[in-house]
Amino acid sequence: MRRSVAYPLAAVAAVAAPVLVAAPASAHGYVSAPPSRQALCATGAVPDCGPIQFEPQSVEGPKGLKSCDGGLSQFSVLSDESRDWPATSVGTSVPFRWVFTARHRTSNWEYFVDGTKVATVDGGNQQPDAVVTHNIDLSKFKGRHTVLAVWNIGDTPNAFYSCIDLNIGGGGDGGSQPAPTGEPTRAPAPTTQPTTPAPASSSRPPAPTGEPASGRTWKAGETYKTGDVVTFNGARFRCRQGHTALPGWEPSQFTLALWLPL
Amino acid sequence: MSARRRAILLVVLAAALPLTACDGDPAETKAASAASKAPSSGYNDQDVIFLQMMVAHHEQGLEMVRLAADRAEREQVRTLASAVDATQTEELKLMKSWLAKWSKPTTSEAAENAHLHHGAAPATGAKEIGALRKAKGAGFEPAFLNLFIGHQGSAVEMARTEQSKGASSDAKAFAGRVVESRTAEIRQMLRLLNS
Repeated sequence: MRRSVAYPLAAVAAVAAPVLVAAPASAHGYVSAPPSRQALCATGAVPDCGPIQFEPQSVEGPKGLKSCDGGLSQFSVLSDESRDWPATSVGTSVPFRWVFTARHRTSNWEYFVDGTKVATVDGGNQQPDAVVTHNIDLSKFKGRHTVLAVWNIGDTPNAFYSCIDLNIGGGGDGGSQPAPTGEPTRAPAPTTQPTTPAPASSSRPPAPTGEPASGRTWKAGETYKTGDVVTFNGARFRCRQGHTALPGWEPSQFTLALWLPL
Repeated sequence: MSARRRAILLVVLAAALPLTACDGDPAETKAASAASKAPSSGYNDQDVIFLQMMVAHHEQGLEMVRLAADRAEREQVRTLASAVDATQTEELKLMKSWLAKWSKPTTSEAAENAHLHHGAAPATGAKEIGALRKAKGAGFEPAFLNLFIGHQGSAVEMARTEQSKGASSDAKAFAGRVVESRTAEIRQMLRLLNS
């Protein structure tokens, strides 16, 4: 069922050349919080993970494995203990959240700590809810441990594997964040901007003509406010909607709602 | 699974416009193969079904981000949701304009049924959006983030299929944008979920 095809990854910045990637299969899922190893790769918290960073949901292998990589050589980084995976500090009852991109009927979910099964959650051979959280009691463990979470599919011989590195009993109780109530005041500055275009300046020549404040070059990761002006590929654009710039959101015909050509 | 439950499930699935591109080659489905291959005009069946699936996918995505722009607790999450709203609204117009140019409907049975052949539910459907609508307070943000990470993950999967099997340069360039921007959105949302 698993086949391989070559296709170029569009994230040119991240990948030098087209690489061979396993074709996504039809069911997908992984543990998003506390972050599994593939989630840490996808966020870039752990760098240079290879193709898994683009498809953290694809660690699929036959049922019964005890490996973080599902037996897939292209994802073997997930089993590489020399990567010094950061451990998330959690309490003794840990909520594990799953992300699904397709929801197959589920036999069950299993959780192992250092190879020993600590919990089984029945899936009733039903399609799971879109958001699944399991609270797992890890009070018998203290300190640093690796949890293997397994999603056993009901209608295929396969399972999906996620390894989560934890520092148990080392942090707040209740796990990484059962409810993120604590941080309403993270970034008070840029309130959501209404989409009204900024005061219309008269149309200007495309070349920046002696305007000191508006010549910044568009850059991923920057936070832009409505009215900010950037240059990109020699043209100038005004921000119409406050946002943090992402790769793929540079000014273009696809992002006219964010960037108005000047 | 009882017959009744299965029937309900099918209704739910049909209503939910199953969206994820799967193993099956959508271009092989019956409705799509009725569409003509038209290399001269620069597109193929895969382009059509990709855009039709993405139109429905975008409409569901917009429902979700509009809830988040209103209800998320953190400014960063609301700002991301508003920016996704802006970009996807624009993309939706573009996709519909291409389908109109090719004289194709914005939806099709083939696009809706792309999931049923192997019995999987898509990442998100009407039921899941309904559940999100009911999520309140501190529970809303993690529910939204998890749901939307999965939703955008399916978009990446559909777009990759388009990149390898599509013919239209516009649709393939758009698919490249989808892969890139959604991967970056997922990265940001995973960080938000764990901070």
